[in-house]
Amino acid sequence: MYWEESIETIKRDDLDKYQIKMLNILINQAKNSTFYKKRLFNYEKINSFSDFQKIPFTTKQDLRDGFPYDFLTIDIKDVVRLHSSSGTTGNPTVIFHTKNDLDEWSNLIARCMYMAGVRKEDIFQNIMSYGLFTGGIGFHYGAEKLGAMTIPIGPGNSKRQIWFMEKFKTTVVHILPSYALRLYTHLQEEGIDPKKDLSLKIAFVGAEPHTEETRRKIEELYGIKVYNSYGLSEMNGPGVAFECEYQNGMHLWEDNYYAEIINPETGEVLPDGEEGELVLTTLKRTAMPIIRYRTRDLTRIILGKCSCGRTHRKIDRIKGRSDDMLIINGVNIFPMQIEQILMKAKELGANYIIEVQKENFMDKLYIKVEINNQFFNGTLEELERLQKHIIEELKNEIGVNPIVKLVESGSLPQNEGKAVRVIDHRK
Amino acid sequence: MKEKQLELLIIENNLNLNFKIGDFMAHQLSIFVENKPGKFEKITKILGEKDLNIRGFSVASSGDFGVLKIIVNNPEKAFEILKENNITVSIRNILAVQIDDNSGSLHNLLNILSTNNINLEDCYGISVAYNKSAVIIIEVEKYPEAEKILLANNIRILNDSEIYSL
Repeated sequence: MYWEESIETIKRDDLDKYQIKMLNILINQAKNSTFYKKRLFNYEKINSFSDFQKIPFTTKQDLRDGFPYDFLTIDIKDVVRLHSSSGTTGNPTVIFHTKNDLDEWSNLIARCMYMAGVRKEDIFQNIMSYGLFTGGIGFHYGAEKLGAMTIPIGPGNSKRQIWFMEKFKTTVVHILPSYALRLYTHLQEEGIDPKKDLSLKIAFVGAEPHTEETRRKIEELYGIKVYNSYGLSEMNGPGVAFECEYQNGMHLWEDNYYAEIINPETGEVLPDGEEGELVLTTLKRTAMPIIRYRTRDLTRIILGKCSCGRTHRKIDRIKGRSDDMLIINGVNIFPMQIEQILMKAKELGANYIIEVQKENFMDKLYIKVEINNQFFNGTLEELERLQKHIIEELKNEIGVNPIVKLVESGSLPQNEGKAVRVIDHRK
Repeated sequence: MKEKQLELLIIENNLNLNFKIGDFMAHQLSIFVENKPGKFEKITKILGEKDLNIRGFSVASSGDFGVLKIIVNNPEKAFEILKENNITVSIRNILAVQIDDNSGSLHNLLNILSTNNINLEDCYGISVAYNKSAVIIIEVEKYPEAEKILLANNIRILNDSEIYSL
């Protein structure tokens, strides 16, 4: 039931004490870096969380400005790996790890996977990219730590994915939600019913924002349990927060991360239950500690105890990254709100694209969405009704009148990596 | 079943007979198409390559997209092939009614339907033999009822293979 029972079910008081102790160790360690030496010279011992909350935030820009070594606290000879963002806009964000940092991280992912029901006997097919990206390698080491046979296949080549699933009776996959939906159409084409012909039980999805509706859709199509995970490369990668069997919120591992929710405008720390930006602090990473990091991810702490017995607080599904927000004629919209509506309609497929452009000085929102072949009844009336219904639902949800275009199945571009869902022509 | 026999059957049973629905059934493929150059052509290419012959068609459009309706020999095979090509297609029951190719015969058919309160959802014609006969494809909600009424009025309904043997 638990990977590390004493840690996962630790009493809140003890966890708080533990966090204070770790924060003090962290502050001392961080001072060995060029960046935090300046930032923290005023901070000695902290006795409470409110003491800690006086330390300024660290932003993505800070990490970029500190490229490459300003955040490193140890000699390079003790670093065993780096991960890096793509850095398409400016310096990449680079994170360094010691051997022990990697062990801690792998253990955390093993804990997550175990919590979702993965055991040594399982066969794990890792359909995420390997390389600089943390998702693939992170889960790889976590699964090995847990002891499950791991197939490091990476993404793409659907035929080969299916072949491995069949031949080795894969029970667990780690996959992008958009690829899970696309893979299903390949299965259909090959006449394979995943519910009958495959041995899949569990899927971990992540690395791109998706809605509850998408998760349920994948569960329904494959007849499996799908677990949502949260992580970001600055905080190692996957394994920061993870769903338990109750699937209502993700336990954030507070022995490894200190979490706060803040008002993104004012920086004020918000009480549990209120929605805001998640701010995280690494508690155990030695090579490169990060203090009060602004994730730009919007969520809230879910109040109340979890029936699974774990005491680590849960965060809600990420509502959106503050960077993802679209402003359309003055109205704030998150792409997730649109996806949520589209995924509810069974007559629609899983692939969609949101486009925004200026026309006569006004922002116009276009949504192209594929038709689901299986639910087409052959009449124009039904299509028109569907189109009207979707426009109506979207208008209610986002407060903007969109132009919805129904397109043929398979006609929207498909990406091997993260799906590109939003194209803003105004930029 | 011969027309004469049928007629007798209908008279005997005072229109309430339970003939098997499907004895007179024909099929149409309804295909979702975007209103863009090359979309219709894609369909005709797929069907042409498999020697499937289009006997009639109609397009209902709603701006950006529409529904292409086609009558083809071997609709089931065509359906499968289109599916394989990831085309959004559904197969629908229609009534294919044969009328004489002369003035007043279409009016006669429509008159029978309207006096019996049968509403047409869609309707299009195929001229199969110039000056001799035409086939009218009709889509109705009250499918079995329409079938019975047409038969009772001596209107000839064709099944899939009959459409192509004309």
